[in-house]
Amino acid sequence: MPPLAVLTLLVLLPAFDALRFSLGWVPEDNVSYASGLNLIRSSQPTLAVFGRLFSSASFGRDLGLTLFVTLTSVALLTVVSYALAVYARFGRGRWVGAVRTLYLLPMFIPGIIAAYAITTFYGDHGLLQAMLERVGVQGYHSPIRQSWGIVLGSVWTGIPFAVLMLSSGLDGVAEEQIEAARDAGASFWVILWRIVLPLNLVPLLIVLTFSFIGVFGSFTIPYLLGPAAPNMLGVSMQLNFGAFRQPQVAVAMAVFSFLVCALVGYLYVVATLRQNGRRV
Amino acid sequence: MKNPLLIGLLLLGTTTSVQAQTNPVTLNFYSGGDVNVKDLWENNLLPMYQKTHPNVRINLVFSSHGDNDQATIDRMAAAKKAGKPSGIDLLEGPVDDAGTAGLMDKLSVQKVPLLARVSPAVVNRAHSYGVPYRASSVVLAYDSSRVKNPPKTVAALLDWINKNPGQFTYNTPDTGGSGNAFVTRILMGNLTPADASFFQTDYDAAREKAWSKGLSTLKTLAPKLYQNGQYSQNNVGTLQLLGKGAIQMGPVWSDMGLSYLKQGLLPDNIKLTQIDPPLAGGAAYLGVAADSVNKAAAYDFLNWLLTPEVQSVVVDKMNGYPGVKLQYMPKDVQTRFGDIAGDFSYGFSSKFGSDMNRLWYEQVAGTAQPQH
Repeated sequence: MPPLAVLTLLVLLPAFDALRFSLGWVPEDNVSYASGLNLIRSSQPTLAVFGRLFSSASFGRDLGLTLFVTLTSVALLTVVSYALAVYARFGRGRWVGAVRTLYLLPMFIPGIIAAYAITTFYGDHGLLQAMLERVGVQGYHSPIRQSWGIVLGSVWTGIPFAVLMLSSGLDGVAEEQIEAARDAGASFWVILWRIVLPLNLVPLLIVLTFSFIGVFGSFTIPYLLGPAAPNMLGVSMQLNFGAFRQPQVAVAMAVFSFLVCALVGYLYVVATLRQNGRRV
Repeated sequence: MKNPLLIGLLLLGTTTSVQAQTNPVTLNFYSGGDVNVKDLWENNLLPMYQKTHPNVRINLVFSSHGDNDQATIDRMAAAKKAGKPSGIDLLEGPVDDAGTAGLMDKLSVQKVPLLARVSPAVVNRAHSYGVPYRASSVVLAYDSSRVKNPPKTVAALLDWINKNPGQFTYNTPDTGGSGNAFVTRILMGNLTPADASFFQTDYDAAREKAWSKGLSTLKTLAPKLYQNGQYSQNNVGTLQLLGKGAIQMGPVWSDMGLSYLKQGLLPDNIKLTQIDPPLAGGAAYLGVAADSVNKAAAYDFLNWLLTPEVQSVVVDKMNGYPGVKLQYMPKDVQTRFGDIAGDFSYGFSSKFGSDMNRLWYEQVAGTAQPQH
């Protein structure tokens, strides 16, 4: 019961309030809501706030950047993590242990520290540029404060969770199945495509969904590594709430982000149910 | 005096009022700012006050960069609505906003006698809801080894930026006063003095049409900035770019620039200068919450802040301007600042400021990403 009460008080009620606010109902007793600029007040629920949001050019740019960063990051993250997980599972030799330790490392580094480390290393006048110039390579352009900077940071911080998730799935693939396929003459790619991937679909779906939701709603990495503008939605929400004093716009963006993430979550649930259904 | 009950009540009344003065009082002081403000309170001013006022304990609740200011105001508003004391006695930060919402005590010379030494214009800017105990302004910092004749006017500055691509930048206007002051100065470029004063104190979104020329100036300036249009992340970001020689010029806060030079975080060849018309500056205000139960002690604290000894410490530690008029300061402070202490303009009112941030993001920074 207490967990339910906490959930209701701290999550459901504020979420409901936010939803009503984004539909034109301005709570007069909430100073930070009622003193906002460009409020739309309505006694009937109205989609005017969303209408104005979607027609604004800056929201379009912000959403474009958010989708670009999210999709690129998730794609890169999946490829890199899968490669690492497969190597750690099936690889032989002395490097396997080192790789297993290295991919876990970012998990123990807070995102904000990682962002600063990435800036010091890849940034303008950073370590990488200094090293390149030492060996005579000129003209380095830092990805930091560009959209690719956010992708870099998101992939870096997302790797441990993704690899752990995929590894747990790969550990469940029986050695005998692989051996049998190998004996039958199957190549590495055939084994990966025909045996490992199908058996490992649910962890892959988990990684795809959670990485999407994580990057889509992220704040620290895009705030510290991204361009001044456009901004990812998380940063843009904060700007609208604080710097532009437009709480209604910020809340509408939050509602929109929630809907996108809920949709992705729904696709995941449907996919896993189907997968489990097939197994039974 | 026949009524023993009355006598008893009177006696009780006198004893409690005597006790109020001798009993320890705790003032809850909500403050915000950069780390230099925190150091000023924790290491200098509060210990100094404690020495002469052993009965007053000051409980400092600090919010870095004022991030929790809104939460503090919300808390005061909620307490007022519930009819209970908020527990906040002193507030440094958005006293004007809180005062307009009816949450601050209106100050006067009767309550804080030394307010008479502060310029009335500065007190009026916060509508008498706070004591301006320190001030600073934004100035232009430049590398004197590479820039021989720094620009003296806004037009000369714009000209210099265009002729020296990649050597100037400013921070996004929402992340620090130095970039904000630069943007404000450019937008103010085409306003009459009467208009400018309206933008400083009032709000009317329709008047923002007057900014369009300034906004387009800023937009055409973008490709000439550092790395073809990168803005520094905050006040400190500009100082760091100057420090590592990545840019030759940028707007910085006078107090931060002087502190950095003093600590050797900026090389000696970085010099500070003011342009004409000057970049914006302002005072930091400290006020008394309307529902404070310790108002007498709070007024006394504010009055103490304006005494010459305390003001000298503020000037020395913050490298800022004093809150009181220069004539009330010791001779060495007067010679150090000369007449520049009064030499700054004011930024926009907070609502105009919010709109300025938004329009800057929509029309200046959001339009084209630096391409390589």
